[in-house]
Amino acid sequence: MKRKKIIRYIVLPLLVIGAVAAIYIYKEYNRKHKDTARVKADYSLTTTELLNEFAANEKASGEKYMDKVLRVEGAVKDIIKDEKGFYTIALGDTASMSSVRCSIDSTHTNEVISLKKGAILAVKGICTGYTADELLGADVVLVRSVVDSKK
Amino acid sequence: MKRTILVTILAIFTATSIHAQKYYTKTGKIYFDATSSSSPEKIEATNRTATCVVDVSSGAIQFAMLMKGFEFERALMQEHFNENYVESHKFPKAEFKGKIKDNHEIDYTKDGTYKAKVKGDLTIHGETKEVEAEGKFVIKGGKITAEAEFSVKLSDFKISIPGLVADKIAKTAKITVSCVLELLKS
Repeated sequence: MKRKKIIRYIVLPLLVIGAVAAIYIYKEYNRKHKDTARVKADYSLTTTELLNEFAANEKASGEKYMDKVLRVEGAVKDIIKDEKGFYTIALGDTASMSSVRCSIDSTHTNEVISLKKGAILAVKGICTGYTADELLGADVVLVRSVVDSKK
Repeated sequence: MKRTILVTILAIFTATSIHAQKYYTKTGKIYFDATSSSSPEKIEATNRTATCVVDVSSGAIQFAMLMKGFEFERALMQEHFNENYVESHKFPKAEFKGKIKDNHEIDYTKDGTYKAKVKGDLTIHGETKEVEAEGKFVIKGGKITAEAEFSVKLSDFKISIPGLVADKIAKTAKITVSCVLELLKS
């Protein structure tokens, strides 16, 4: 009688907890990045607004936007395709040296293949920081970016 | 007379502008592999948003990259990399400032392939160390493809690996650089 009680009330719950923990650890270990298209943007603004914020206060803007999902709207300044077929889109004002550089998620390449310079676009991506260089201009860099067609 | 002066000024202008030519990229690729021999899985990441500038007259070469730009396949590995190992919230950027040895032997105006050593200061995680790498420069169609492979000891940059994962992460990381540089128009 006591043995059955031990099994039912101690061993079984422990096994269940153990199994749940194992599943959680396995899932967490193998967790892949979420598709940016499926994630809601933390902030939505124009390239001009974003670049001005960083130019005014790099540290505060970094703390505000780092790792966040940003939806930026602006004109396509440049479209770069590398030897492996990865795309990077630069959004911003052609009169300025600065731009919002969006490294496009490799599974969303089809969204940018037929893009033309000058097109007004909204892109959603994860902010990885700000690179201010007197020669190259000051850019905000987004990775895992996707084109956001929703307004 | 006026015409001669004009032509001379133009000639000097052209000559000096060639000398001050800089090539750049904002989509440079930096890949690293820190997989130890006893690890069951690959510890690797790629950064596709590195910037690079090369001054072809002086041979000065510079790189800059945001640590958060390193993309890992596993989200958890990327989070550990940023939060615990390179502490990117404290040290968001990695930089390299150096020179191409024997730069004068490279003819940037003609298509060709050159092997040259690149030496300079590499700063990661707030620590700076001098590194030297064998670089390959391919000049083709007005663009320069710069490639290099070298290794860095993680402890040199005060990147500490906790005992729990010490057998998975190698003490030395192999870094591969690949950039296609184009002329920076002033």
